[in-house]
Amino acid sequence: MATGAFEEEMLALLPRLRRFARSLARSDADADDLSQLSVERALKARDQWQPGTRLDAWMYRIMRNIWIDETRSRTRRAGVFAPEEDGVHVGDDGHEAIERNVAVSEVDRAMAQLPDEQREVIALVLVEGLAYKEASEILDIPMGTLTSRLVRGRQALVQMLEAA
Amino acid sequence: MTIDDELLIAFADGECSDAERAEVERALADDPALRERLEQHRRVAARMAAHYAPMFEAPVPDRLAALLHKQQTDVIDFAAARENRQQRRRLPGWGQWGAIAASLAVGILVGQLTLSTGGPVESRQGALMARGELAEALDVQLASAPEEASGVRIGVTFRNQSGQFCRSFAMKDLSGIGCRSDDGWRLPVTHATSAAQSGGGYRQAASGDSLVLQAATGMMSGTLLDAATERKVRDNGWR
Repeated sequence: MATGAFEEEMLALLPRLRRFARSLARSDADADDLSQLSVERALKARDQWQPGTRLDAWMYRIMRNIWIDETRSRTRRAGVFAPEEDGVHVGDDGHEAIERNVAVSEVDRAMAQLPDEQREVIALVLVEGLAYKEASEILDIPMGTLTSRLVRGRQALVQMLEAA
Repeated sequence: MTIDDELLIAFADGECSDAERAEVERALADDPALRERLEQHRRVAARMAAHYAPMFEAPVPDRLAALLHKQQTDVIDFAAARENRQQRRRLPGWGQWGAIAASLAVGILVGQLTLSTGGPVESRQGALMARGELAEALDVQLASAPEEASGVRIGVTFRNQSGQFCRSFAMKDLSGIGCRSDDGWRLPVTHATSAAQSGGGYRQAASGDSLVLQAATGMMSGTLLDAATERKVRDNGWR
């Protein structure tokens, strides 16, 4: 069925999209919200996707843009992100934050400490395994910018994860 | 010649030229410190991959897949669908033939499950019914609050066209849809999933889910129940 080709391809992409979402967001729940918003937006904007071009790159871009928008609006609302470790003092949210902290692994914590522009590069290259060129096209940045962000992000991760 | 991190990382990622690769390999051969730096980057990369792999391997939540299935049905020509329904009404025999065909297919699929006593399915006056663990899960579990310990996963909850509450489920060997009638959970849709959850990987699990979801979309009247409604309806005994 021709009308279903877009949906079929999207369904096949979902595991990768969820993994990408998980590496951007802080928790499984946030990752699923991000995945859902991305699929919804893609369905609304499906006319803008050109058949024959890569749906995965298009979807990564949509998801990344939603994540950036969401991060910015949250930052505006909250002033700044509370560091993950400091969750305990966050008033009403305290209990939930403690539970969340218990589940936060070292990798999550390390990723959360990377600046957004390094985290998205790490997510695309190191987690999703995209070529540098593909990642730079998705993020719409020059190759030189991509590699310098990637190197700084990798150095930071090595420092945080290999320190012990 | 010193190898900077940019070149070393490009080497680890297979992103450097042949000349650069040869250069890094030469340097690695007689520089243990450089080898250790490369190993650090490789260990971190492996750890990242392992950390995020479960999200890739896990079955896609039905809620997410349903967005795409719903869309798929929406884009089917509505006029054609309506005509289809009218034709069905004009042909009273259709329902019976459909039911017989369906029960034959179902009988083959779940025959072995019903044979073993204590299995999740029984046949009562020609209708397949949930029993045991499956019946209990359909009764009490909430799609919005999955129970890790349970062998049954509830996917979506909705009303069918006769107003009954129906729920999609998946367990080790079987996925399907249960609809609540006066005498219990009838199973109008069942799908054998022998390999799916037991190490067959997400692909098979997802394709089983997608068949069941497609069936759900066809049966559904209105939308999926949200978490609050689902809880209310359950507490009211699915009435």
